[in-house]
Amino acid sequence: MSSSRRGFITGCSAAVAAYAGTQFNTLAFGDTNGANEDILVSIFLRGGLDGLNLVMPIGGSDRGFYEAARPDIGIPLTGANAALPLNAQLGFHPATNTWPNGSGTPPATLYDLYQDNKLSLVVAAGMNVDNRSHFDSMGYMELGTPGTLSTSTGWLTRHLQTASNLPPEILLPALAVGNLQQASLRGATDAVNMTNPDSFSLNVGPFEWRAAQRVAMRNLYSAESWLHESGSLTLDAIDLIELNSGDGYTPANGALYPGGSFGNHLQTVARMIKTDIGLRVATVDFGGWDTHNGQGNEGGGYYSTHVQELARGLAAFYTDLNGSGAMNYTSRLTVVVQSEFGRRLGENADNGTDHGHGNVMMVMSGNATGGVHGTWPGLAPEQLFDNADLEVTTDYRRVLSEVLIRRMGNNQLRSIFPGYQGYTPLGVVEGVDLPPDDGETIFSDGFETGDLSRWT
Amino acid sequence: MATPIDSQRSDFSRRKLLQAGGLGAAASLVPKVARSEGLPAGRGPAMRRQRQALPEKGLPATPAAGIVALNRMGFGPRPGDIAAFTALGANDPDRVAAYVAQQLDPDSIVDTELDNRLAAAGYESIGISQDPDTYRATLWDWYINDNAPSGNTSSSLPRDELTRATFVRAMYGNKQLVEVMTDFWLNHFNVNINHSSFVRTMYAHMDLVIRLEVMGNFRTMLEAVAGSTAMLYYLDNYTSSNAGPNENFSRELFELHTLGAENYLGVIQQNQVPLDDDGRPIAYVDADVFEATRCFTGWSFSYGVSGDGDTGLFYYRPEWHDRFQKNVLGVFIPQDQAALQDGRDVLDALASHPGTGRHIARKLCRRLIGDDPPQNVIDAAAAVFTAQWQAPDQLQQVYETILLSAEFRTTWGEKIKRPFEIAVSAMRAAGADFTLRMDDSDTSSFLSRYDDTGQELFTWPSPDGFPDVRGAWQSMTPRVAAWRLCNWLIDFDDDADNYYVDVLGQTPGTVRSSNELADFWIQRILYRPMDPADRNEIVQFMAQGINPDFDLNFDDGDTRDRLRAMVGLLLMSPDFLWR
Repeated sequence: MSSSRRGFITGCSAAVAAYAGTQFNTLAFGDTNGANEDILVSIFLRGGLDGLNLVMPIGGSDRGFYEAARPDIGIPLTGANAALPLNAQLGFHPATNTWPNGSGTPPATLYDLYQDNKLSLVVAAGMNVDNRSHFDSMGYMELGTPGTLSTSTGWLTRHLQTASNLPPEILLPALAVGNLQQASLRGATDAVNMTNPDSFSLNVGPFEWRAAQRVAMRNLYSAESWLHESGSLTLDAIDLIELNSGDGYTPANGALYPGGSFGNHLQTVARMIKTDIGLRVATVDFGGWDTHNGQGNEGGGYYSTHVQELARGLAAFYTDLNGSGAMNYTSRLTVVVQSEFGRRLGENADNGTDHGHGNVMMVMSGNATGGVHGTWPGLAPEQLFDNADLEVTTDYRRVLSEVLIRRMGNNQLRSIFPGYQGYTPLGVVEGVDLPPDDGETIFSDGFETGDLSRWT
Repeated sequence: MATPIDSQRSDFSRRKLLQAGGLGAAASLVPKVARSEGLPAGRGPAMRRQRQALPEKGLPATPAAGIVALNRMGFGPRPGDIAAFTALGANDPDRVAAYVAQQLDPDSIVDTELDNRLAAAGYESIGISQDPDTYRATLWDWYINDNAPSGNTSSSLPRDELTRATFVRAMYGNKQLVEVMTDFWLNHFNVNINHSSFVRTMYAHMDLVIRLEVMGNFRTMLEAVAGSTAMLYYLDNYTSSNAGPNENFSRELFELHTLGAENYLGVIQQNQVPLDDDGRPIAYVDADVFEATRCFTGWSFSYGVSGDGDTGLFYYRPEWHDRFQKNVLGVFIPQDQAALQDGRDVLDALASHPGTGRHIARKLCRRLIGDDPPQNVIDAAAAVFTAQWQAPDQLQQVYETILLSAEFRTTWGEKIKRPFEIAVSAMRAAGADFTLRMDDSDTSSFLSRYDDTGQELFTWPSPDGFPDVRGAWQSMTPRVAAWRLCNWLIDFDDDADNYYVDVLGQTPGTVRSSNELADFWIQRILYRPMDPADRNEIVQFMAQGINPDFDLNFDDGDTRDRLRAMVGLLLMSPDFLWR
């Protein structure tokens, strides 16, 4: 700490100095006069999660359609990889209920959290935009404007910009974990983007001149171009993060994160939440879901391992933040998990699945209502989208809007999801309802019909 | 998959919709929050200085054309490069024209230093053969079938050697445009090298086929890439068959390799797509992807099944091919064509479509000029691309159109270097003497720091390639990691304590005062003067309170360290990042 401390004292600006002067008083920025204190963590599963193998029919006629369409990769009803019942109709992938080898008292699994009503599942969610492109679909979702990619801000950026119930000063409002800042935080210049706080530092170079370099860097980046400004904000962020890192991290409450970047990145979020410097929004990515090939048969293989990493990561994150007293963060925490689209009902000849449509969303929260939400559209051929994919019956923006209103206390849907209308809560989380400000029609969605007048 | 951060992509269908609907003012319908608005006052990192964020302010003036050209057509100047550029002509347009002509004719360029360094590095898997099939069969035999002569048969070896060789070529090669464009096409046809052991091994073959065609013809490159082992495996076409078509490759072929998403109309019928003046569909729909998938069934490689020989070479499996008629982009494809012809018809239709020319011209201009390149240059390049789609020097002509435009040499500051460009240009400007090798802890040390920047070579996870817009690289992770890397580079020494960047050794003995040291190294790193206030910052850093006209004593270790730190500061400065 000594070297970064030295850099900090000489190089930083007044506000961090004031913050440091509070002797890490954890109440300084974490608890202010009735302001909203909830934390929203948005997890994006990149590549198109095969939602039909995460939540699949276990009964009724749809089970028959499912088994016929997925003779190899389908999740069985019996045996070691049997689906775990969510209700009479739907089951959960068995890898959502596994523990790391050798752990002592098993912490809660994701399936345990579901049974404890800390996890709500929304089936057949997605966008009513007819597009099977990864890149378009991710852009639409993260920008919050299905049908257009030219939006200059992400939906989380607009949430932070429009929320009227946040304290006037927050040191770290938003954290984008990963190599690059996610599109949902596009335009949020105040978001900090990092992978690991321990390397978010300028503690390299000739030791005795680091502090003086730091002063000079401040001045070199003090002009007003976009580059100077973003460099200056980065220096601010380094000052802040260096004060809250350096000694590694030990998860609390027996939480066991999976190895790999997903688990590491969740730990970064948990660690920053626990520093109580005001984190309100965080984004985390988890890739590797584009399973065109070799998903794994009968509930095992690649996809199962991947679901296991997802489920263990989520469960560990919840456990880590689920302490008591001042260390209970889950009562303020809502985690939303989504992906750009689901995958086709029918498996392909490579025991994989191609790009599809409707998908599962997960909402994990101390204030979750639990259970399965949304309308299951059915898997009969005539019930499928484009004769091939699970239909979308719940607009993904409905789920996010509910979290924004009931948990974050922000009803400015007109700004956050322009064009989205007709919001009513689905009931995935507890909270106070507010009338949505979803005013004018901007556009319903991008190009949902075969109407060609627009091109002629 | 990756986050798309391509804010410049034109939103074709949206725009059309609004025009047709007579709504107009499309842009105003989505609330665009100007960069300067940001969060309400007082929120956000509280230490933010008071200032108006006006994006135009503080932007640098366009420097001399040599600095523009060497930073955009290459990885920045090495000592002597600017002087050589200046000697090419009497004025900037002439110099640029001469330099472009030189770079467009790479066979004429002598590369002695690079050749010597590559030879000294002794990479086993690089440069074995310039014949693509000989090369890929060898890679397969050595690292998949484990017959490498050295006995090191790890599939990571070709990957690790290619990474090292790519750095060395960019740092010491004189064919700088070849390096820039190879990087461009490898990202255009992105394959994540860490996808699997097959890809780790065979990626170097894809690198070779791109290099062989980098000044050539797009259609030829497109087929070479489509048939490369790495691409066939990465996007699953190698198992795509009549009985079980896999559309992964075909989708990205349309969306990323050729027409681009701006020419995608989604899930509608082929016969509903309007035709252009030449009678071809103006864009593609899902059905085109499905039909093209059928055309490519049977395009595979030999990996040891059904008597295919287990060679790693392209292998056509006629029994897997869908023999019936198809229709792709308005092209009727009759049944029972000769082997490979269906796929080749698709590639022809795509490579000749004006939408492909526009898509690729825009990307090239974005790489070579700026994030929001001038439309007239895009149009000119697209016209050449499409008109010359069968010319053997098509790409040379397209590059030339862009590089000889006035906009190429007169624009600056819309873009910043990405981490690979920062790392390589830092070592070039600072005169690093560093050949990346295998089994060398200093190389590993360098690469592990470089990889923190988020641009670990060839590892972008999804098929769209590393982003090429400044918005993405304004993220803090790459900024902090690149600063760390630069400041570490000037402190980086070998086992005998020799610095890889010999700052003091490169400083003339007559340059000893803080003023002289600052001016000498500003010129060496930036090749142009700094803003006076910034220069003063550098001088004061070096002087540390001593009269800046006084000579400093370099017998003192602290002073030597400070000089290195001063160079580190220049490498971390905003001026070093513009391109």
